[in-house]
Amino acid sequence: MSQKQDLSSAIPDLRDLSLERLAELGDSALAHSIDLYRRRLKETGVPLNSFSARI
Amino acid sequence: MITTHALSDHALSDDAFMELASGAGDRAVVGQLREAQLSKHLMLLHVVAKAADGVDPPSPATAAFRAGYQLLTEAQTVDPAAVARLLGLPHIGSWAHDCLARLDKGSAPDFGYLAAVAAAAAVQLGIRFEIDIPVRNGRAQLPGLGCLEVADQGEWITLSSDGERLRAGRDVDVECARLVPDDGSGGTVPYWRGTPLARVEADGQTWEVLLETTDKHLDRYTLPMLAAMTAADIATWRHRIQSAWELLVRHHEWAAGPIADGVTVIVPLVQRSDLDSAASPAAFGAIATSMPPSPVSMAETLIHEFQHIKLGGLMDMLPLVEPSGEKAYAPWREDPRPMGGLLQGAYAFAGIVRFWNVQRHIETEPDDVLRANVLYERWRSTIEPATGTLLEKASLTPNGVRFVTAFREREQRPDSTAVPAEAMQVAQEVALDDWLTWQLRHTKLDATGVANLAIAFQDGKPLGDQVLPEAWVEDDIRKIDSVARSRLINMRYREPQRYQRLSAADLSELGAADAHLIRGNASAAVAAYREGLAAEPDPAAWIGLALAINRLPAMPSRPVFTIHLPLLFEMHVRLVAKGISVNPLDLAAWFE
Repeated sequence: MSQKQDLSSAIPDLRDLSLERLAELGDSALAHSIDLYRRRLKETGVPLNSFSARI
Repeated sequence: MITTHALSDHALSDDAFMELASGAGDRAVVGQLREAQLSKHLMLLHVVAKAADGVDPPSPATAAFRAGYQLLTEAQTVDPAAVARLLGLPHIGSWAHDCLARLDKGSAPDFGYLAAVAAAAAVQLGIRFEIDIPVRNGRAQLPGLGCLEVADQGEWITLSSDGERLRAGRDVDVECARLVPDDGSGGTVPYWRGTPLARVEADGQTWEVLLETTDKHLDRYTLPMLAAMTAADIATWRHRIQSAWELLVRHHEWAAGPIADGVTVIVPLVQRSDLDSAASPAAFGAIATSMPPSPVSMAETLIHEFQHIKLGGLMDMLPLVEPSGEKAYAPWREDPRPMGGLLQGAYAFAGIVRFWNVQRHIETEPDDVLRANVLYERWRSTIEPATGTLLEKASLTPNGVRFVTAFREREQRPDSTAVPAEAMQVAQEVALDDWLTWQLRHTKLDATGVANLAIAFQDGKPLGDQVLPEAWVEDDIRKIDSVARSRLINMRYREPQRYQRLSAADLSELGAADAHLIRGNASAAVAAYREGLAAEPDPAAWIGLALAINRLPAMPSRPVFTIHLPLLFEMHVRLVAKGISVNPLDLAAWFE
């Protein structure tokens, strides 16, 4: 039986990092994730999902 | 300094992924999405903090940012959960996103906003502080709580607190405990305007949602937020949300709990004649909408937009769509949609299909039953072609292929209860009208290919081995003037009684052909459209002719109109330009 694996995402897990420690992070610590996020925004923009219903 | 190896990425369980792919996602799944969003906000906050550090000498805004960061750090030591709740709000995501966008354009972000966020945290937690926060339009915003009315102040105001009372400028001196959102239960607080809060309850399940109309970072949708809500407006919103909540809790439990956990803000939008609603991945947890006209419509809107929120949260974690210039037909929009938009729409409408599939069984008034059945069938029939397009265009990531495949399979499962014939007929006609209009509006054809085909037709050659011209999607290449007719076609199920009244009245403004169609006289409509097209190759008349033909089951050319309408129109234009009179039915018959 195959073991279901969790899917690793593009977002670093910062939940348990205090703001104090977040401020101490070097530029490189989040650089990859931020670059990925920026690249995605550049490629796709921020899609606004808007809908207009005829009423 | 902390290095990279200390950090891991957010993980999403495979079960959560597959549950989202099924179109649903329970409270635990929504919890995973929310946690990832909090991390996203913190990641963006880190970017903004580094940018603020780089401003030397500090500006008032960056100084406020640093003071805010410091105060938030202190608040976090007092109550980490409260600060996490605050930083997870869509206000913060929206602000952080705007900051990133401005930094990437080389302009200064709204650094000072973080000081206001910190002040909001400190006020909530009873922390002593003194901090400068920005003033806009005479208001000092405390995100998630409300705003201080500080007219005649400058661009900044100093807030100070001993943990019990908040002081600002010369006048404001109020108890911190009273600086809360306005849930409608308390009296007024001097200089304070609490953000309206709807606290709704049904069968023991509660939901609290802010009605945000002052935070500029949430004023980010296609229509402006409703700037000034009266007490009566707020009461109406609360009442509508309460009624919708009762419906969701009692009949759409799959959606109710997750919405309560995942939606913290509603942004009321200015009202047009139509209902407008929106959601943005930049503001996870916020739904923007004009006032839905009924509790059912409000419930539908909440489900619709929450589907977008869930998928936006997932796509932040796991990209599902590769960037491409591809655009395609999306039955819920007039414009050609990129693949990401098509996926978002299909996912949202899968939620709507589920909603109407319940409503069609619980509605009791005949008109409501008709509407529910039509809307169920109308949107159910869109999911398969939309997901088919997504899989065919090869613009999905491996996770995207897996997601869309599972989603498509779930939506293909047949429902045991058939849609009544009348509702089916209406749904199919509405869908056909939309498809034909979209095709004529956005399908470009190779002109040489059209010309060659027109010559072949003119010369009496069989279609046989003729090569059909290349076709591609292009925005708004033809203007279609058929809005009035389309509105009437939709009125058949949206407002059946009004439709009956109007179709029996004088429809001369529509034109004879459209009037025949609306009155159900398809043969007369065909004759009238033919007559009109003899004078001018009007795209709206071609669509009307196709709709009338579709009502005549004996007409063998029905599929030709559905498949080749832009080509029929362009050939007609070409032939008329050469002075050749053409019977549109003969042209269509050539393709049979």
